[in-house]
Amino acid sequence: MKTAGIVARKELRQAVGSSWLLLYAALFTALALALSYLGARNLGDLGFENFSRTTASLLNLCLLLAPLVALSLAADSIAGERERGTLAYLLSQPLDRWELLLGKFAGLFAAIGLATVAGFGIAGVAIALLASTMDAGTYALFLALVLALIAVMTGLGLVASVVSRTRVQALGLAVLVWFVAVFVFDLLLIGTVSATSLGGGGLLLALLLNPVEIVRVLAIIQLEPDLQILGPFGSYLLERTGATGASVILGAALAAWVAAPVAAAAWLFESKG
Amino acid sequence: MTRAERGAVGGGVEPVLRVEHLGKAFGRARVLHDLSFEVARGEVLALLGANGAGKTTTLACILGIVPFEGTVTVGGVSVRREGKRARHQIGYVPQTPALREGDTCREALRFLAELKGAAAARADELLARVDLAAQRDQRIGSLSGGMRQRLALAAALLADPPVLLLDEPTTSLDAAGRREFYALVRQLRGEGRTIVLSTHAVDQLDTLADRALILHEGRVAFDGTVAELGARSQRRRYVVSVNGTAAAFRQALRDAGIDASHVREDGLRWEDILTEAAGGGHEQPAEGAR
Repeated sequence: MKTAGIVARKELRQAVGSSWLLLYAALFTALALALSYLGARNLGDLGFENFSRTTASLLNLCLLLAPLVALSLAADSIAGERERGTLAYLLSQPLDRWELLLGKFAGLFAAIGLATVAGFGIAGVAIALLASTMDAGTYALFLALVLALIAVMTGLGLVASVVSRTRVQALGLAVLVWFVAVFVFDLLLIGTVSATSLGGGGLLLALLLNPVEIVRVLAIIQLEPDLQILGPFGSYLLERTGATGASVILGAALAAWVAAPVAAAAWLFESKG
Repeated sequence: MTRAERGAVGGGVEPVLRVEHLGKAFGRARVLHDLSFEVARGEVLALLGANGAGKTTTLACILGIVPFEGTVTVGGVSVRREGKRARHQIGYVPQTPALREGDTCREALRFLAELKGAAAARADELLARVDLAAQRDQRIGSLSGGMRQRLALAAALLADPPVLLLDEPTTSLDAAGRREFYALVRQLRGEGRTIVLSTHAVDQLDTLADRALILHEGRVAFDGTVAELGARSQRRRYVVSVNGTAAAFRQALRDAGIDASHVREDGLRWEDILTEAAGGGHEQPAEGAR
């Protein structure tokens, strides 16, 4: 673990200096501030509702941007080293493959996480100043959900990086994963529900297949525990599991999503030889 | 104390690197066939052979970077079972510079020192040793090829490992860079380091290595001392100074009217010996004699 820590610190230093991450941090902070300002101006003084809507908008922004950055940076990590010819040299050092992979995961997660926390923090101050009410606990929970999603996507990016021969291939795969998770999955789900008699249980299972949707629904449960916004599916959840039960199921699925990709990437990296 | 004496601790010459029945295939292409050899402590082994003979793959197997058949142990530690521990005992210099170009020399060495469990101060010490103290805060991307390879050698020495693997380290260097690098290798040889040197610099073989292992199409074509390799050939080389052009010389030979000012027997060129030992053509006519 000590070796993984050394690699993680090195990866963090490198990522912090990367133009991609700086661009993400700047863009995310600017958009978060704009959302906070517009939320307060357009909705007027609506108290908690104002806060909820602004943070929900902020969350949607995160669900769009954070996965893309995490997937891209992680996809570049191993494939980039391989293409530059530095991977074999790194592997000739006294470290195990899984330590290198875990170190890269931790370093990248920390770098993207720090940029996100900075954006969230600045936006949080703006919301606190502009909105009449602010629930700091809910805001922190949202941040935790976004960080979990970043961990998932960093792991998936590493899988793409390990299985790809070139950086371009890895980046292409990463963008495909992002596109499916953020845009296509929703459309597929709507199409499936319309075309089949997929019930609430089926919908819940389908939801668990996409970590972006898991985070979205967990945030909705936190903001609107009556789940009316989810329509019949909300009623199903309330009836079968209750808001707390649904949170537990979705939380457990999200935890599995955090662990599974990085474990899969480590296994693939080890077995590829 | 000579290297041989240093190696003979405990009565016999202790092999620090042992390779047994090493085999490797990439898909259907088999590149190594049942290689077995040992390297004694303090010995410098020159790993020789044409491009594609299997030198780099052999080193990659010793490092445990690629899966392989057979057994490789470094200091008694199995590379397959305890790769990380085995690699702790190896310093490696690759064929082409492989350190991150955005890092400074010092940053790169300090990171590697941390990985190898060496003191951070070793970085500055070794930068001075390879004559890069003035470049310590310079980015690696701005260094010349020779400087980068000297930096890689410094990196390999960080944890003072028992074995050094140098994989054609001068391939991308100019003549001056090669001279500087091999001067460092000679210093390390003088210190009694165990070195496996994959090289094409056969003209300097007798000053660089104790033993030679020649690979030919993934098989051992020769394994013995450099002196044995030199004595193996029955051929002799003659240096002939000719008054006139090569064409005139040929003409003169044809007419048996040789007009050579001086003919003396000379040592064979290492290239000739290696070509012969690797199973190459017995007689390679000189360019001018064709």
